[in-house]
Amino acid sequence: MDFGFILINALVLACIYGTLAIGISITWSSVGLINLSYGFIFAASGYGAWLCAQYISTFGAVVLMAGILTGALMGLLVCALAFIPIHDKPSFTVRGMIATLAINLIGTQTLMWYFGPRAKSLPEIFGSWKIHLGHIVLTADKIGNIVASIVVVTLVLQWMRSSRRGLEIRAMMMNPHAAAIVGIGVRSTGFYVMAITGGLAGLAAVLLSQTYYISPFGGLTPMIKGVSIALCGGLGSVRGAAIAAVLLGLNEAITSVALGGQYVLITQFAFIILILLVRPRGIAGILDKAREA
Amino acid sequence: MTNSWRNPLYLWDVKDAVEELPTIDYVSPQEVWDRTRSSDAVMLPVGRLRYYYKWSGHGAALWNRLRYWPTRRRVLNIRGEYNPKTLRSEKTIVDKRPIWWLLGLLALALAPLFVPADLQNTLLTAGATFGIYAAINLCWMLIIGTAGIYSLATYAVVGVSAFGTAYLSIQYGIPWYGLPFIGAMIGLLSGLIIAIPATRLDGFYYALLTLGLNELCRVYAQQSRLFGSSTGGLYGADSYIPQSWDQHSQSLLAYYACFVLMIMALCLYRLINGRRIGRILRMAPEKREAFAEATGVDYRRARIFVFVISSIGLGFIGGFYTAHFRGVAFSIFSFDTVLLGLAMLVIGGLGRAEGAVVGTAIVILLDKILISMGPVRLLLIGVIMLGVVLFLREGLFGVKAQFRAWRDKKKSERRSTRAVKGGEMLPEEVTETKNKDLSYWRRYDKMQRDYLRTLISSELIEEHQRSPLGQHSEPLERLLLYFRRAPMADKYAIAVVEPFKAYRIVALSGHRGVAPRVVEDRIYGSQNEAYHGVFLRRVQDLLES
Repeated sequence: MDFGFILINALVLACIYGTLAIGISITWSSVGLINLSYGFIFAASGYGAWLCAQYISTFGAVVLMAGILTGALMGLLVCALAFIPIHDKPSFTVRGMIATLAINLIGTQTLMWYFGPRAKSLPEIFGSWKIHLGHIVLTADKIGNIVASIVVVTLVLQWMRSSRRGLEIRAMMMNPHAAAIVGIGVRSTGFYVMAITGGLAGLAAVLLSQTYYISPFGGLTPMIKGVSIALCGGLGSVRGAAIAAVLLGLNEAITSVALGGQYVLITQFAFIILILLVRPRGIAGILDKAREA
Repeated sequence: MTNSWRNPLYLWDVKDAVEELPTIDYVSPQEVWDRTRSSDAVMLPVGRLRYYYKWSGHGAALWNRLRYWPTRRRVLNIRGEYNPKTLRSEKTIVDKRPIWWLLGLLALALAPLFVPADLQNTLLTAGATFGIYAAINLCWMLIIGTAGIYSLATYAVVGVSAFGTAYLSIQYGIPWYGLPFIGAMIGLLSGLIIAIPATRLDGFYYALLTLGLNELCRVYAQQSRLFGSSTGGLYGADSYIPQSWDQHSQSLLAYYACFVLMIMALCLYRLINGRRIGRILRMAPEKREAFAEATGVDYRRARIFVFVISSIGLGFIGGFYTAHFRGVAFSIFSFDTVLLGLAMLVIGGLGRAEGAVVGTAIVILLDKILISMGPVRLLLIGVIMLGVVLFLREGLFGVKAQFRAWRDKKKSERRSTRAVKGGEMLPEEVTETKNKDLSYWRRYDKMQRDYLRTLISSELIEEHQRSPLGQHSEPLERLLLYFRRAPMADKYAIAVVEPFKAYRIVALSGHRGVAPRVVEDRIYGSQNEAYHGVFLRRVQDLLES
């Protein structure tokens, strides 16, 4: 086992899953929805990118954009179906979670029905060059994945920090009731948040499809990884999610070297449970105050 | 003006009296009365009372109750009472659910006799699956509904137990009757392990964590050669169904065995939810734990207890699952299984045993009967689940209560449209005013003002200007009587600035010791002019009100 190789792999996966986890975190803390339909959004954006590559253009940036746009569109759809009708009804959190699960079931079955169970693969959007760094080989897709996810997430966070809409979203994250009182529209902000987090999921889908194939149920594992990172980092904290992504990536690398690949999930959940037993609100419980349900 | 008024004091040589004055026609107050009392709000014949059939009760037997042994509980919640009008003794069955349960279970027990022959195999297999899944869902309902722990790892516990027992049965040849009990032990162990994070974590953190645990089990079982990663599951365990029997007898035995399993799960549900621990947990629902804790309820302990007991039940079902299917497949850990299970719970309604059973029946029917439709049937189940979550508050069994709440809302909306504004009280105000006379007085006053407004005319004002004091025509007399009877607060009065030369209109404060306030700057030259000024102001106020 080459430790450097595994470390780079873990870093790449941490970047991609971290993107998804930040989306989950932002959704929960701003609109109070536990979105478990990311599996569907993820798979749908993969198929969107695939359709684009088939019929429009195989140019990398175009395919990436198609994936992000499909993800954002699916985010809007989930918002319109699961957030808008019930966000002011009793026991919204449970019902919202179940509604997103139902959307996940419907969506993945529709994809399965329409596209069939055969996996699809995307063209290599970052080209096929490689860099030798000492004895470690860095392929184009790895560098591309790391750079693209970090750039996009940084852009989104910067936008959230500097723009009017971002201010609204951050206000919702701090205190949704107070935000509503000072005139921030809960529904319109919900649409913005869901579109952005859907777009992040779409980005993750296209980046991950450089390593894995696109299939109707392929979104499940990334969603579970994203959820566990968000959980470990503390729902609602971007910094916590980033730290958790790196920690879990390291854990994955160390476990596969020391114990073997099949024990990765076991050590990962043992690690998460340990963190949550000490800090029930995740790493963010140390960093800042997380939103109370 | 055709009408005129003859002054009766004229003949007595009263000073300044005129013999006849023009006045308005007679206006009947009846018209205003009728208009106020009529309402154009629609009165729908919708009753508020719920209909109960009244059974006749013999006087001596009215208080006789059938109770069953270890408890003092009644078989049926029957209320005995004397009808206050007829004084006959009556019995009302307040809670009919035991009757429905009995009829439903009887129907399930007799169902194999009435199944058409060509569908027999499909339906009996579906019935057996229904029994197992209903039992699993009842245990899950205990965890989600009674204990309020949002665990999604239920099928993981069942799967772990099923895989464990299948492995033991294949390797060490353990007979089928041992499997459920070994399964229960495995269930206890895994329940204890999963319960550790539940002591610290909030509802949704725990839901997400258990979702991950489920995935962990799936990935581990699929990668492990021990659990048959090459064959898609572990098969070859001992089964309670004898291979030597014919097909029909085998499925019949399987059906009734699963039916008994479901009854056992129902008993467990009743034992936990209906007794002390269930009561304790009903006191500590989501977000009101602090209150329960303050009253001395150790809800954490109760929750973990229910969780562990349900996990033992789930382990038992897992062992039975192995003995039933002669093994277990990886699909028990798949995300779709969890989703379908959740769909069963949600469609029926969270927190009720009947919800779990009926929801399971609906989903299993759709899943097994429409199997020729392929993925579309799962799509259908998803759409039903989404619809139930979006439109129903408590699933199918909450429809009645939700409909009643909606109807009451509509009724109160309709009631509030009957409010007629203008001096009268709104319905909400009336309920909050202690002195109910006040609302009647307001209503009467409003009618009076409506009537007096119709009397005001230029002849009337001219008549008052001619002589503010003394005998007046009938309409003016009515008007002045009303004005004089007004309450003291803000009543107009005349203040003497300089006797016989200057007068001014003021308004009384209505409180002793508080000086009247000046209403206008105008100075009137004589007392009569000032009287008329006050009159004009009052008429103005009446017309404006």
